[in-house]
Amino acid sequence: MSVKSIDPNESKYAASARNFRDNVTRYLANEELKNNFRGAMDYLMDKRKNSFPDANELETLREQCKLIKQRCLVKLPHLLEQLEVNLEANGIKVHWAETINDANEIIAQLIENKKGKTVVKGKSMVSEETALNDYLEARDIECLESDMGEYIVQLADEHPSHIIMPAIHQNKKQVADLFADNIEGFDHTTDVDALIGEGRRVLREKFCHADVGITGVNFAVAETGTLCLVENEGNGRMCTTVPDLHIAITGIEKVVEFLDDVPPLLSLLTRSATGQIISTYFNMISSPRKNGEKDGPEEVHLVLLDNGRSQAFADEELRQTLQCIRCGACMNHCPVYTRIGGHAYGTVYPGPIGKIVSPHMLGLEATNNLPTASSLCGACGEVCPVKIPIPKLLLRLRTESVKGKHDGPQIMKGEGSGRKSIEASIWKGWSLMHKYAFIYNTSMWFATRFRKLMPNNLGVWTSVRSAPKLAPKTLHERVKARNKKIPNKVANNAGSK
Amino acid sequence: MTSSFKQQSSNARTNILAKLKQEVEGSDYSKLPEEPSYSYPELAQEELLAQFIGHLEANHAQVIPLKEEDIAKIVSEQLKQRGISKLLYGKNALHSEQMLTLDDDIAVEAYDFTLKGNKEHLFNNIPAGITSSKAAIAATGSIVIWPTIEEPRSLSLVPPLHFVIVEAKNLYTNFASLINAQEWQNKLPTNAVLISGPSKTADIQQTLAYGAHGPKELIVLLLK
Amino acid sequence: MTSDTTTFNTQHLRKYPAKAQQVYLYGTCLADSFYPDSGIDAIEFLEQQGIEVLYPQGQTCCGQPAYNSGYQDEAKAVALAQVAQFSLDIPIVIISGSCGGMMRHHYPELLKGEPGIENFCERIFEFTEFLVHVLNVKLNDQGKPEKIALHTSCAARREMGVHITGRQLINQLENVELITHKYESECCGFGGTFSVKHGDISGAMVKDKTQNLLDTDVVRYISADWGCMTNIDGALEYQKKSLRGEHIASYLLKRTQATNKQQGK
Ligand code: SF4
Repeated sequence: MSVKSIDPNESKYAASARNFRDNVTRYLANEELKNNFRGAMDYLMDKRKNSFPDANELETLREQCKLIKQRCLVKLPHLLEQLEVNLEANGIKVHWAETINDANEIIAQLIENKKGKTVVKGKSMVSEETALNDYLEARDIECLESDMGEYIVQLADEHPSHIIMPAIHQNKKQVADLFADNIEGFDHTTDVDALIGEGRRVLREKFCHADVGITGVNFAVAETGTLCLVENEGNGRMCTTVPDLHIAITGIEKVVEFLDDVPPLLSLLTRSATGQIISTYFNMISSPRKNGEKDGPEEVHLVLLDNGRSQAFADEELRQTLQCIRCGACMNHCPVYTRIGGHAYGTVYPGPIGKIVSPHMLGLEATNNLPTASSLCGACGEVCPVKIPIPKLLLRLRTESVKGKHDGPQIMKGEGSGRKSIEASIWKGWSLMHKYAFIYNTSMWFATRFRKLMPNNLGVWTSVRSAPKLAPKTLHERVKARNKKIPNKVANNAGSK
Repeated sequence: MTSSFKQQSSNARTNILAKLKQEVEGSDYSKLPEEPSYSYPELAQEELLAQFIGHLEANHAQVIPLKEEDIAKIVSEQLKQRGISKLLYGKNALHSEQMLTLDDDIAVEAYDFTLKGNKEHLFNNIPAGITSSKAAIAATGSIVIWPTIEEPRSLSLVPPLHFVIVEAKNLYTNFASLINAQEWQNKLPTNAVLISGPSKTADIQQTLAYGAHGPKELIVLLLK
Repeated sequence: MTSDTTTFNTQHLRKYPAKAQQVYLYGTCLADSFYPDSGIDAIEFLEQQGIEVLYPQGQTCCGQPAYNSGYQDEAKAVALAQVAQFSLDIPIVIISGSCGGMMRHHYPELLKGEPGIENFCERIFEFTEFLVHVLNVKLNDQGKPEKIALHTSCAARREMGVHITGRQLINQLENVELITHKYESECCGFGGTFSVKHGDISGAMVKDKTQNLLDTDVVRYISADWGCMTNIDGALEYQKKSLRGEHIASYLLKRTQATNKQQGK
């Protein structure tokens, strides 16, 4: 999965996102993969559905959480400052990074300052975004993923195919084979308890010896200066408890204003993600080890990453992208994701959220194929717990992608890069034809008369379908003819044109 | 080196905040729409308890209602059933005096060492730990732990079996009501944790497995 | 197991007019050039309910293809031309959920500031929605017993919230058994230009959709959206299967015709 990019400042994911079409062809041909995804998505959709028995509660919560996130975004710069003040007062150091490289550099230096050599990582999509593991390994710092799914993916030299369940593309047989190839002394078995037991054995050993723990953050509470982590496995707690140094990395949009904002968001997050009324652990960190305390890290750091988020922020419509709480429900319900799987996108964040957020991180030029790869069915927007109008944002990104030259300020990196002059002229012609009924009706008259000449081969359309057949007479004509037979109708229809 | 990344971070801070402020500085917060909230039905204490126990059991925790004087007996029994003869606890913690009356063949050890330097010991020699709790939440079947000097956070995390003592009088309807009743805003500890079952994962083919990294078993001793 | 998402019915949020004497029919470009029968059938059905149907000859297309492709200006020109055709203050009945969704929910923004646009959008009704909520039709089934499936377009389901009205109408047909198919609420893969731009993904989706329909024992499937039906029927024909779709207007007319003729005069 490691597609190396040419521009050293460009994320490796830009290159793989550009390969979207080839990826799709490859993954669509993989039946096993398709079955793995279908099974997993069915499971997650059912779980979610069952965890919301009361439609009224669900809709109230969604509205509430949407407004919470929108409030926090309107106050974002102020809340980030407040968060920083309160974290620092609690003894947690705050760092800021505009780019993925800056974030990686900060983290590497924090580790080197403590002479750290081994890192255990809790699940963090933002660190995937920065390709932190590659960066640290190049500096001779060992980086081990400790979330079971992430661990599997790392063993396979892949990246997560789902933001909540990273190894969802693999079935247990594949995991067993992977363990057999990579873990010495592993007795091949497809028993899941045994597989997890094996992972536990290997990883507990690592927790015991690691110098550094790196995690993401689900909510950063400005009011109290608290970092909140949601998890089931306990690896997040290990990473934030056992090593001497804990570094958390997150996007600037994760800050919430009040502690009171957390319970509704948490409830929607876990239920939307996996159908759990709450995760096994909800871990709230407000300071490094205090005097006399016997465990916990000596130092806690938070790295706040921009990486294109401020670009989305600058446009009121696109800003809604930042409401996301990364629950993954949009991908679980997406018919496109279900068929092509998470890796086809080539981006860190796959599925509908990936389509709307990646263009800000990687630029539209690299991601032009993503917003168009949607039937706009709306399933994502319907389940999104914070009511992000994903289909609408996809439309907006399509518009930005094909935008012609203009004098206004640039809204997105890579805007207009998807514009092809031939396509633009086709739509101009189409518009003219449908604007003037006279041209339209004449064209239709000819088209239907000469319908036998219409090609039966319409390219991709007819690779799995037969071409539709034009009717001998249009509806316009038939209504006209019909009205002639009923005299009083003619006047009415004529009068209303 | 260090100073260069500090400088870079401070430049980034300036740039990011400037970009954000350009868009929203001067927004009239009073114009923000009112946020609805769902009112959950009020439940009687008995119903809350039933909900609490039901959720925990559904999440694979074992709940044992008991009286304080029975703690030692029950803990001893549970340990013996599993063939465990050692328990780690926190000295001077709530109910910790009960640990002194465990059966003779169970070795009790107090957590009076620092984790640093004793990681191997905690990870490899301690099969079970016991802690008290700060509160409990009915709506989600969660136990709230605010680790202390006496009961460090790894005590509820590293040993494969975790006993936790919960007092029914500390049961709250939901997380929101708990935060407000106990006024968490002003006094969050180093670390606060909500625990709602033993450690688990469904990362391999959506198959639930317990004991991913943390405790494989959670036994809740519920004092009514 | 179904993949039905928690769809929220939004119809109760809408105010419906008392029964109308006169309505416009919006035929849509697909029905115009490929499936005019369904337009005529819709007109006949409405007329049998005692309603006069006006069909402005200047209508062409709602503009959705350009709109969904990111060509806003081009879509806007076409959309404005449509609005101009429907000047009387009477309901506009549309025989396609997705065009309905375009006109009712996307015109307000696309044509923001244009005079009368709110009123225009308020007058848009999807065919089954109009039958149930405005006309309150009571159907008298005259057909033979048969089993059918229903495919509701995503736009109908999520933008118009009319997946329920289609079902309600079919349920009124005494001799018709509505069979649920697997993944009924899942998209058929049409999505307009999506099916051309990403033909392989769209193709995988329609393959599954047709398979799920074929796995039932229905004699036909009913839909109120020609986009989906062009896609699904095209795939079925390509696979040399005999199952086909029928537009709900044609189906309702056919099933109830005998009665209506008797009662009519
Ligand atoms: S966009 Fe919405 S549904 Fe998708 S991950 Fe974000 S919050 Fe969840």
